[in-house]
Amino acid sequence: MALLEVQAISKRYGEGHTAVTALEQVSFALEAGQLLAVLGPSGSGKTTLLSIIAGLLHPTSGEVRVGGQSVAEAQGGGAAFRRRNVGIVFQDYHLIPYLSARENLLLVPHLDGRVRGEDRARADGLLEEFGLAPRAGHRPPMLSGGERQRVAVARALMNEPQLMLVDEPTSHLDTERGFQVVELLRAQIHGRGTTCVMVTHDERMAAHADQVIRLLDGRVVDRPATGDKDLSG
Amino acid sequence: MLALKELLNGKVRFGLIALAVGLVVALTMLMSAMSEGLITGMTGAKGSLKADALVFQGDTQLALERSLLSAESVSAVAESPGVENAYPVGHAMISVAPAAPEEAKASGDGAGGDEASFDARLFGLGGEWEQLPRVEGEAGPPGPGEAIVDVTAQVDGIELGDTVSLTPIGRELTVVGFTENRRYIMVPTFYVDMPTWEDIYLATALGKTAEEASGQGEDLPEGSQQPPAEGISPALGGSASIVAVELSDGVSPAELEGNLGAGFEVATPEDAALAGNGMSVMVLATDGIQWVSLIIGALFIGVFFYITTLHKTGQIAAMKALGASNVYLYRQLLIQIAVLVTVAAAIGMFLSLGAGMSMPPTMAFDPQPVGWGLSLLAVYVMALVGSFFSLHTILRVDPATALDRGEH
Repeated sequence: MALLEVQAISKRYGEGHTAVTALEQVSFALEAGQLLAVLGPSGSGKTTLLSIIAGLLHPTSGEVRVGGQSVAEAQGGGAAFRRRNVGIVFQDYHLIPYLSARENLLLVPHLDGRVRGEDRARADGLLEEFGLAPRAGHRPPMLSGGERQRVAVARALMNEPQLMLVDEPTSHLDTERGFQVVELLRAQIHGRGTTCVMVTHDERMAAHADQVIRLLDGRVVDRPATGDKDLSG
Repeated sequence: MLALKELLNGKVRFGLIALAVGLVVALTMLMSAMSEGLITGMTGAKGSLKADALVFQGDTQLALERSLLSAESVSAVAESPGVENAYPVGHAMISVAPAAPEEAKASGDGAGGDEASFDARLFGLGGEWEQLPRVEGEAGPPGPGEAIVDVTAQVDGIELGDTVSLTPIGRELTVVGFTENRRYIMVPTFYVDMPTWEDIYLATALGKTAEEASGQGEDLPEGSQQPPAEGISPALGGSASIVAVELSDGVSPAELEGNLGAGFEVATPEDAALAGNGMSVMVLATDGIQWVSLIIGALFIGVFFYITTLHKTGQIAAMKALGASNVYLYRQLLIQIAVLVTVAAAIGMFLSLGAGMSMPPTMAFDPQPVGWGLSLLAVYVMALVGSFFSLHTILRVDPATALDRGEH
């Protein structure tokens, strides 16, 4: 059974002749431990798709199911569902600037109620695993771009999520560091059996994924879009 | 954790705002103390009379200055149903000339002249002397020609054991003790026994010229010399300005007024204190200043945290996307506001106490724990009201914006 099922998702903004279609009948499924890369140019609907999967946006039609459970009908509301099942890596990291790297990781269990000893041990383990142990006490402004990205990925793994949503993980990194982060991500996903949807505009990064879908104007196309003629195929 | 970490990370920013709010807190506390001081200074001697009710002459609007009860009226009040205990209280306006320093006396310089005199109020008490808190001098009622004086008179040079002159009537009083918080219309009071009060009241009411007081009255033209006070109007003997009464259980001042019939007004000391002399307007003005200060403080805190919240909408959106609830985010904000207001309250109290200690005793400044407590409570409540600006922003932040950068 697929861990993530995206079933005929459409999203429209506005009504009538001013309506804008952001997504149109997008469907796919992912098994546990799979990495999906969503490719597409700016404005193609990648971020909207990610927001709908995360439960941050409601689709106009269609349904998202995680582990067989409808995201729209998740118990405890969207926030509780995300705290327990989803790890998000933002393009701009969104690390809390006045918390250390370790405290940024502990924010996740903190939001879920309390920080236990096992949470601290897990945070220390992730920092060690990501090569950030010597920087655990440093705040984000004192970290390099690559280190911040690794902290953001580690934070997304803190709640041992079923599903990881990663937005443009390499946009602020040079090519070499970008590859390192994607490789790290891939290793973590496969090692932990976590399903991951990674939005990127970089074909080279997408090559590391188990599946790739390409979006253009809100629709899934089956090969890279290089012009209107190519869309028909 | 998060709220305190952010406060510690922005020590300078939050410290400055705490200082600014602390100044507002100090303003409200100072206004509270000055308001209390004004009331105490204006009405302390009247409002703190030990009694359940004060009985005034009718149609005097509870004014000590206008009320005069005959000996018969005083007896009628004391014997009225519902009165457990009663004692007469006299009031008069006096001018006091401090005792001359020894060197001035030796050199023959005038003492007790008009230049050195100050206004005061004379209160005659027919009992219940223990109601005066004694800060200096021996306990017990004063004898004839003796007075217990409000301690603020020390600012005018009055000391224990001094014999002061009352001008222009030529009476003298020896100071045998000092009490506190017993001013009236912002001047110190001199407490004397009723016979002494009666003598001085009559002299003050009937008048006695300065020339008489200095022994030069014989030179005045015939007919211009006013009669001396002594021995005049024996019909007024035993009279008083008002009567202070202790009521039987369950008897209200209004019931007593009904029992006494026409010709009397009855009120509690507290109500009587706030009547007349423009007290209601003054209290309204000081209360108004306090409320304005509190509203400014609330706006200050509200706007500061509103701007702070606006500056971190991206962070709030990300935290919501990570699973933070609106309740959690608002709780963090309230923790920050509580810490900031507590620091501000400490600053405000420190500044207020410092300001109070540097004020002269005659200054209308009477900090009351209840008044300050209410001021602090009001600051917390108004800060809570101010936090609603930020709550509105928190509720409006869409977590999807943490991912959305204008792309769809």
